[in-house]
Amino acid sequence: MLKFAARQAGRFALGLLGAMVLAAAISAIAAPRAHGLAPFLEAICLRFWAFAQLDFGRSAISGLAAIDELGLRMPATLALVLAGGGVALIVGAPLGLLFGAGPIRRAAAPLIQIVTAAPVFCAGLALAYGAAHLLHWPVSVNAPEMSATPIFSRGAQSLEFALLPVLTVGLAGAAAVQLALRRVAAQSAREAFRTGLKRMGLSALEIEWVYAVPRVIAGLLANAGEIMLTLLSAAVVTEWVFHRSGAADLFVKSVALEDWNMTALILFIFAGLAFLADFLGRVGAHALVNEDKK
Amino acid sequence: MSATESASQTAPFLRAALRLIGWSGLGLIAVAVALSDFLAHFPAGVGGVGPMLAAPSALHAFGTDLLGRDVLSETLHGLSVTVVRAFLGALVAIAVGGLFGAVAARLPRVMGLTLRGAMGVLAAIPALLLAILAIGLSARLYAPLAAGLAAAPLAFVRAHDRVDALSRSTHAEYARATGISASTLLRRDLTYEFRDTLATVAARALAAVTIILSTVSFLGFGATPPARDLGLMIAAARANYLHAWWTAAFPALALVVLILCARLAADLDEGERP
Repeated sequence: MLKFAARQAGRFALGLLGAMVLAAAISAIAAPRAHGLAPFLEAICLRFWAFAQLDFGRSAISGLAAIDELGLRMPATLALVLAGGGVALIVGAPLGLLFGAGPIRRAAAPLIQIVTAAPVFCAGLALAYGAAHLLHWPVSVNAPEMSATPIFSRGAQSLEFALLPVLTVGLAGAAAVQLALRRVAAQSAREAFRTGLKRMGLSALEIEWVYAVPRVIAGLLANAGEIMLTLLSAAVVTEWVFHRSGAADLFVKSVALEDWNMTALILFIFAGLAFLADFLGRVGAHALVNEDKK
Repeated sequence: MSATESASQTAPFLRAALRLIGWSGLGLIAVAVALSDFLAHFPAGVGGVGPMLAAPSALHAFGTDLLGRDVLSETLHGLSVTVVRAFLGALVAIAVGGLFGAVAARLPRVMGLTLRGAMGVLAAIPALLLAILAIGLSARLYAPLAAGLAAAPLAFVRAHDRVDALSRSTHAEYARATGISASTLLRRDLTYEFRDTLATVAARALAAVTIILSTVSFLGFGATPPARDLGLMIAAARANYLHAWWTAAFPALALVVLILCARLAADLDEGERP
């Protein structure tokens, strides 16, 4: 277990290092006198060294330290991603386990294919349309000023504002969760150990609970990086669709206004989150399955 | 888990039927794109052909938008722009991702692993952000190239890992033992790999690039008027779609059908990332 964790930690550290080099290269674009290969490479090295000392430069738009500016916006994005992740688990887990069984999956497959073919912005707009017309909720797709309320602040109306972005991100994540669970559940259903355990006198429930469930959870954890990537991608679009001022929305504005320090920092943080989820997921999955083997 | 492994959960005849539906759909879309100028009642971007925001009727089957443009004609033109740009982007994704990834797997170990690591870092960043960054660093004109490059890291990683596994297979060991050179083995593997997987890889790249391109257009980084693609059409319809649903619904439907056909043709599992 320790050897595996150390290997994964090394992988995680290398991934972060690579993301830092990429971020330094983007940030170097903002450096003065970085025209030409040699000055640009020098600027990358300087930016990399500054990043290592947690100096991420200043935002060209606000003049604030990039890390401070991101600190103001990141909590909203993290809240959106976490809440979306919760919805993804609530919706995706039962679907994945249900569709792990062949006949139900075959019946539902065309519908899921159609739903998962819809880009996130189309899904977000469709949800907003449904909420406005069926539930008569206020929606923020056309009213930026209405979305100024922080996500999850008090009041029924702000909850209604918050719910649509969370649902959009959650449904995008649910597709990834159900896929991971469905694959691992189908694989677990075919495992040879089931027959052996039945002959040993274990009930179906015991087999599921003691042997199959840890494998299914481990399979889900092993895909944590992929699920996080899906949630982050969905958050970028969702913040734009629903006028949420989070880090993802800041990224779009930073690129449009050529604020490369901010762009670099947001990319680094997003890549870091994906690597972290992947690392924790893999280690968790390994720990679960190992426990099971003992 | 690869598409092949996952696909084993589905009956082979059903898989084949879905693939056929996907390719047939893509074929029909290609015909519609080729004949878009003929099929559309009005040229692209022509306003005032009907009343503002008229609901679907016999005269305008998909209704009209805020500028009195025929939504059916605009959707056909938008689909045409989307498909052409996505096709270009998919070519970039296949070349930079698929082909380069396959070659990198046969480079000297350190070089191959370094490239794999670098692409792994890029693949850990949402492709949408990479595309926006590439457009920000170049110009909106290069959005198809940017979308192709953004989809490339994942295609690279997949191709690299597949060819790397091939190079460790028994047939590769036998080939090396019989004195076949590394370059000949690579050429043969690439030939067979491309013959067997090109259609799937191309459809997968088309699905990925279409999603990225339409999303960057929706965010304002892609197509520029008068060449409006479906993403830009949906973005423009956002202001009115709550009371004129047809302005966004038909372009969105066309986009979903295009992506769905590409996904089916690529034999993607439900919910699998293209």
